[in-house]
This record gives sequence, C-alpha cells and structure tokens, in this order.
Amino acid sequence: MNGFWSVVRKEFMHLRRDRTTLIIAFVLPIIQMIIFGYAINFDVRHIQTAVADLDNSRESRQYLAELHAGEYIDYVANVSSPDIVAQMLKNGSARVGITIPKGFARTMLHGENPQVGVMIDGSDAQVSVRARFAFVSPPSKLPPGVADARINVLFNPDSKTANFMIPGLIAVILQIVTVALTAFSIVREKEMGTLEQLMVTPVGRLALMIGKLVPYAVLAMVELVCVLVLSNLLFGVISRGHLLTLSVMSIPFVVASLALGLLISTVAQTQGQALQFTQLTLLPSILLSGYVSPRETMPGWLYLISTFLPATHYMQITRGIIVRGAGFTDLIPQFLALIAIATVLIVASTTRFKKSIA
Amino acid sequence: MAIVNVIEAKGLTRRFGSFTAVDHVDLVVPAGSIYGFLGPNGSGKSTFIRMLCGVLQPSDGHATVNGFDVATETEAIKRSIGYMSQSFSLYRDLSPAENLDFFGGIYGLKGKELKERIHSVVELVGLQKYMDQPSGTLSGGWKQRLALAAALIHEPPLVFLDEPTAGIDPVARRSLWDLLFDLAGQGKTFFVSTHYMDEAERCSGLGYIYLSKLILKGTPAELKRLPEVSPAGTRRIAVETDNPSLALRTLKALKFVHDATLVEAEVHLLMDTDTPDSEVTKALLGAGLPSHGLRPIEPSLEDVFVTVTRSLDKT
Repeated sequence: MNGFWSVVRKEFMHLRRDRTTLIIAFVLPIIQMIIFGYAINFDVRHIQTAVADLDNSRESRQYLAELHAGEYIDYVANVSSPDIVAQMLKNGSARVGITIPKGFARTMLHGENPQVGVMIDGSDAQVSVRARFAFVSPPSKLPPGVADARINVLFNPDSKTANFMIPGLIAVILQIVTVALTAFSIVREKEMGTLEQLMVTPVGRLALMIGKLVPYAVLAMVELVCVLVLSNLLFGVISRGHLLTLSVMSIPFVVASLALGLLISTVAQTQGQALQFTQLTLLPSILLSGYVSPRETMPGWLYLISTFLPATHYMQITRGIIVRGAGFTDLIPQFLALIAIATVLIVASTTRFKKSIA
Repeated sequence: MAIVNVIEAKGLTRRFGSFTAVDHVDLVVPAGSIYGFLGPNGSGKSTFIRMLCGVLQPSDGHATVNGFDVATETEAIKRSIGYMSQSFSLYRDLSPAENLDFFGGIYGLKGKELKERIHSVVELVGLQKYMDQPSGTLSGGWKQRLALAAALIHEPPLVFLDEPTAGIDPVARRSLWDLLFDLAGQGKTFFVSTHYMDEAERCSGLGYIYLSKLILKGTPAELKRLPEVSPAGTRRIAVETDNPSLALRTLKALKFVHDATLVEAEVHLLMDTDTPDSEVTKALLGAGLPSHGLRPIEPSLEDVFVTVTRSLDKT
C-alpha cells in the first residue's frame, strides 16, 4: 500500500480541477432520473375500448358504465357488430373490445352468469395486463355470481410504477456514473504518458487501485443523496426504511461498481475503448438485474449471470429498504454478495495492472 | 556503502518475439559521470533504459543498477533511481507544487522532510515563480525542469534522462546541461539518451547503439581516435568556399574523396592522404569556386557515428 494517501490526495485534486467530469457526474443522474422516471410508466389507464352492445338493455348499459368507472376503460366507439370491434382492434383504433350478446339482461334476470365477450390487444404487454385488471376486479354489483377476488397488494397498494421503478433506477443510475468515473482513470494516465512515470516509481499496485477508488466513492455517496432527494421531489418516493441503513449498504455496491470501472481501465488501451466497455456493462445491468422484469422469468444461465452483477443485489437492497422498509438484517445476503463481488473485482484489476511492460 | 559502478550490464538482451531489440549489451557506468547514450530511433535505446529502470524484464544476460538486480529487485531499483522521459509525463492539470507533493509522497517522503525536499529541488531548478499554475501551461523548458525536479525529489544517486532536451529551445537546453554538470559534480550519475552531438560532446562517457548492438563505447576523445573512424590512408580537411552547397556536390563527385559533408559554411572532407590539397583547390576552381582556405581537422563525434554506421551498413 505504498503511496496510498498520496494517490488519494492526487485523485481528489484531479477531481477538483476536472469541472467537466464533475458536471457530468451530477447532471447525468438528473437527466437519467427524469427520462427513465417519466418514460417508463406501467400505470396504464384509460384504455381505448370499442363496444358492441347487442343487448342494449338497461342492465348492459349499467354494466358498461361500471366498467368505465374503474378508470381502466374508456369507450371510443359503440358499434353494431363484433366484426367491427375486431376490425378496430386490428387497425389499432381500439385496444379492448367488448361484445355484449343478445339476452344479457334475460340471462341475468334468470339468476345465471351472463357471458360477455372481451377481446384484448396483446401486442402491448403492459396494456393487456392492465386491461385484464378491469375485468378481474369486476363492477361491484354486476354480474352477480362472478367470484369477487379480494386481492390485497402489500407495500405498494396502488401498484404505482414509481414506487418500484425509482428504487431500481437509483441502482442503475449509480452504476452508470460510477463505472464511467473509474473506467477512464487508468487509461487516461496511459494516454497522457503519466503511467510511464508512475511505473518507474515504487508506488504499490493496490495503493494505486484503491487510492483511485476512494475519491470517487465519496463522490458517488454524495450522488446517492442527490438521487434520493430528487426521487422524492419528482416522484414522491419516500423511503420506508432507514436511510442510514441504505447508505451503509450502498458502500459495497459503489466500491464494486468503481472496481468494475478500474478493471475496464486496465483492459482498455484507449479512452474510446473504455467507453465501449462501459456501455457493454450497462445493458446487462439494466436488463438482467431485475430492474425491468423479474429475474425469476429468466432462463437458468441468464439468471446465473445476473447473480454476478452488483446491480442485481443492490436493486434488492434499494427496493427492500425503500419500498418494504426492510432493515439491515433482512438484507445481509445481498450485502455480503456485494462485498464478495467488490473484493473479486479489486483483486482482478490489481492483478491485471502491471507495473511493467510486456 | 558507496557503489563504484552504478550500472553494470553483461550480455543484456531483450527479444520481442523473433525480433531482438537489445542484443547482448555490455556496459559499465561509474558513479558521478554523465553517460551519453546515442543511437538512431528504433535502435533499442528506450528498450535498454526500460530494462535498467526495472519496467521491462531482460530475456537474457543480467544487469545491476545501484547494486540491485534488474530481473529480481525491480522495486528496490525504482526506489533508488530518478527517471525523466522525453515527453512530459507529470500531471498537466496539477501545479508543480502538487506534482512534487505527489511524487515525493510516492517515495515515502512526508511532513517537514517533504517540504524541505520540495523547497530544495525547486530552488535547484529555479521553478519558484511557477509553482501554482497548471503544469501543462509551462513552456517546454520549464516542463523539463519540473520533470527533473520530480526525478530528484527523493535524492536518487542515479537519474535516467530519455532525450530530455528533445524539442526545447537552445537556451533552456544549455541551462539544463549546466544543471546536470553541477549535480554530477556533487556525485550524482546521469544516464542520458540524446540525438544532439553537442550534448554527446559534454558527456564523460558515451555508448552508441545501432541495430540493437552497442557498437561503440568510450570517452568522446577516445571515440574520435578510433582507427575505423579515420581509416588508414585517409585524412580530414575543412574547405571554406563561397557556395558551399555547389562545392559539396563538386567535391563529392571526386574519386579521392570518401565522404563530404556540410558543417556550418564549410565542407568537411574525408579524402586520400596521398592526394595533395591542390587537387581540391583545382577541382573547385573548375566549378568556378575560389577556395578561401583549407585546414586539417579532427573527426567530430558526428563523423565518428556516421563513418562507423556507414561502414557497418556496407558489410
């Protein structure tokens, strides 16, 4: 660890001088939070619906009115035949089609379950899932006999997207920024020629690696606070769990991401390559970490890969603490996994970094 | 413990695949000298220096630097040497003060001791006025002085300078060399690679590497007296004329002239001893050029390297 504090001081000085990096490090998360936060919204409501009410009775009209009251369904057309409804779904002018057959009211008056034809456009998964909701939680009184499933959603009762997307987004944003910060640090020295000078000094390899990591870890923790404040201001996300727990558990994630950047930096020959490697790590972190879709749906080999991603474990930590109000002891496996990943990455980058040529 | 020879290399070799970059080099550099290391680009200079600095492993042979083995004691070597590369390799965004602070810290200096060392190297290179501006904004000469200060911060007995004066102005070049002489006088050893003949002239020892082999070594005076530089039956003269470039063309075409080159406004000739000066004068008059004087001269260092290189190329 020879020269560790000198490296830390030097990196802080670089950081202080490097306005562009500082600005990017703080502006980038804000932009990302706004884009990801607003663009990815699964709260689908007011789905365009075409109706063919062949019964045209008081009962059928009341049924349709109650469906509409559920806010999922908006009627855009009332047509005369199911064929037209099907046509409208095909050309996209409606997402849901409802056909009420003749005799709807009579069947009901006989105390039986009337049949209603529902067509749903499956081309948009989110819409199709939400449209089902409209019929799963049926109108309060009609039709009788339909099982009234009382679904009780815990923790996020409104199933608001923000409440589970934003904590995940915090993990994604933090990773994007941290990996990029260190990915350039050693390549830059390579390109500037300063690495040549460092090689002929007795600076320790581990001292250099960890010394480069510390200032950025501090920066990343400041950023975590910013992102948390922002998610509260923009999306009203309030953590149910302790913020101190979240901060402490964020440290191994930040270190692991920064170490991943360092590893990239020792592999890449130019800053351009470092950028490409950084982008390469980005996609798996977003798609495999459970941010967008649950990991349980992945095939086994992808699930295995996702186990090695720091974002996977951190996602569970942020969602656990912020959404479920989990405490430290609930998340120890994830915490330990992050420490293990961070250690492996630091050892790997230190081994890869040689203080000699060839 | 005083080391007599700060560098001792025996059969030092480095291969990259099938290419041999440094081929069995034997070299001894005594303490307190300024050793000049010359050779065309790509001849193996930098590879040799890198092996001595402990950043490149030799493929064959061995060498010690300050008594440490270059193959096994690289970190001890790094602690005991200074290194200054041809391109500025300190942090451009940091000030000289911050750069020196960093490199001093890397060598384990701290607190009062570090402050004193910074003060003393800054004084030595005269950098006081520029301590707080970004190092990247310094001129070439000041950058090199800062680099030298950084190389000296931990008081190494031996400093490697890889083409330290490439691309800096003559005044800065001269004052850097004056500084090196002062320091060599105090017992420091400098191992300097250079392309400049006037710099080579100032060295106490010289090595000339060509096509991966160290083909010449000795003091400047010894090299000039080498028999292969002035082959038997030849002598060197300087010719002063009005139109040196026309004179050069004319004289080069003569049978008894082995080599001709322009030095300042004169033509330097390597010619047969048997041919009298009058033949030269006659040839020049034939081209309409009266000569203002002919005088015998010693070979210059440039002559030494050019002659030896050419004779090697022929064989």
